[in-house]
Amino acid sequence: MTRNVYTVKQVNAYIKNMFTQDYMLNRIYVKGEVSNCKYHTSGHIYFSLKDGSGTIACVMFAGRRGGLSFRMQEGQQVIVLGAVSVYERSGSYQLYAQEIRPDGEGVLYERFQMLKRELEEMGMFAPEYKKTIPAYAKRIGIVTAPTGAAIRDIMNIASRRNPYVQLILYPAQVQGEGAKESIVRGIRMLQDTDVDVMIVGRGGGSIEDLWAFNEEEVARAIFQCRVPVISAVGHETDTTIADYVADLRAPTPSAAAELAVSDYLQTQMRLKEYELRLNRILAQRLRMAKQKIREYGMRLKYLHPRYRLQEQQQRLADLEDNLRRLMEEKIRDSRHRLAIYMEIIKGLSPMDKLNHGYSYVANEEGNVVRSICQVKRRENLEIYVTDGMIRVSVESTKEVRHDREDR
Amino acid sequence: MTEKTDDREEIGLEDLFERLEAAIHSMEEEDISLEDSFRLYHEGIDILKNCNDRIDEVEKKMLILDEEGGVHEFE
Repeated sequence: MTRNVYTVKQVNAYIKNMFTQDYMLNRIYVKGEVSNCKYHTSGHIYFSLKDGSGTIACVMFAGRRGGLSFRMQEGQQVIVLGAVSVYERSGSYQLYAQEIRPDGEGVLYERFQMLKRELEEMGMFAPEYKKTIPAYAKRIGIVTAPTGAAIRDIMNIASRRNPYVQLILYPAQVQGEGAKESIVRGIRMLQDTDVDVMIVGRGGGSIEDLWAFNEEEVARAIFQCRVPVISAVGHETDTTIADYVADLRAPTPSAAAELAVSDYLQTQMRLKEYELRLNRILAQRLRMAKQKIREYGMRLKYLHPRYRLQEQQQRLADLEDNLRRLMEEKIRDSRHRLAIYMEIIKGLSPMDKLNHGYSYVANEEGNVVRSICQVKRRENLEIYVTDGMIRVSVESTKEVRHDREDR
Repeated sequence: MTEKTDDREEIGLEDLFERLEAAIHSMEEEDISLEDSFRLYHEGIDILKNCNDRIDEVEKKMLILDEEGGVHEFE
């Protein structure tokens, strides 16, 4: 008997530890009706949740008040997210609330919001996990209903853009009981085939109709899928959890097909354009190379010794011409000057003067007689005229003064 | 099927386009030699041929995957 006695503290601590280690109790959604609600001055809120079977004590500490966006009132239906743990002082357990949402109307929306927040916190929407959608997928998996507008739209757009792409449909149940399991199975089965990309979705409908795409199982299957997933749920305005977690969100199934199926004509045009560019550039390179060869050829030709020789010969000939021309000019000049001198000399010739009636007088010794002082009476003088000489004898002399000499 | 997967994983059409783009860019460089131009041109033409070979121009019918993993033609 004495062996198995424990203190209260030990028992309470033991039980508390059990609660703490329980995975389920650490994060649990509990719904019920609010009763005994007390907003304490410290900021903590104490209340109970009850339903037909019983009650559970709850507390929301002041530091967690961010998880409550409305004023709680007695009798209100709420969903509380929190952890169940032991309050050792009273040996009782209670729910430590983190978030409180009103239940009842808009419950689907609340669930959506809660799941969205939860998955977001886990990083499942993080851009670093998004896989790239291949630009030229050859095989495309589709998870949607085999009847309905979505698959028809996808087929039409695929055959219009690129009829050579292989589509593989997993005929899924997209609404009602068993829909989420069917969608998850479709994603898993298609990822085990060799598809390059997957479209998961359905056409428009009510929030209940689209609900399978807001289920955590579907979100996880998309997140874990090895193949890139394009979500295509409902219309443009419908956004589901599947859209957040998918690698790419398409507003509609038609848009998903546009994103997944490459445009064949555009690809062909792109190839054609590459071909043209390659040919054009090579032709241009060749043209440039030929041009260069021509240039080098010309430069080489210019440097040939024969060309240099010819050039020097040419230069020599030019110099010779120059020399000759200068010499001729010199001779012509001299002749000209000679002619001028001859004219001058002719002008100075005494014969010319004799022609004008003047004559030249010399004595017997042949000296020119310029003055009466040079001659004596009876002296013989000789007068030269144009056609000969006259011998005369001096009779007399007489001095004459010329006006010219007076001046 | 497995063979095809390997072939595709080797190098994709988009990667081939990038290589074409790179070859053309190199050819447009100012100081490239004529020999390199020829080499790049032939490389480019080979890639183009490869691209064309990769585009499987056979019209495909939609297939349907059943629960056992078998595929049939859709309607």
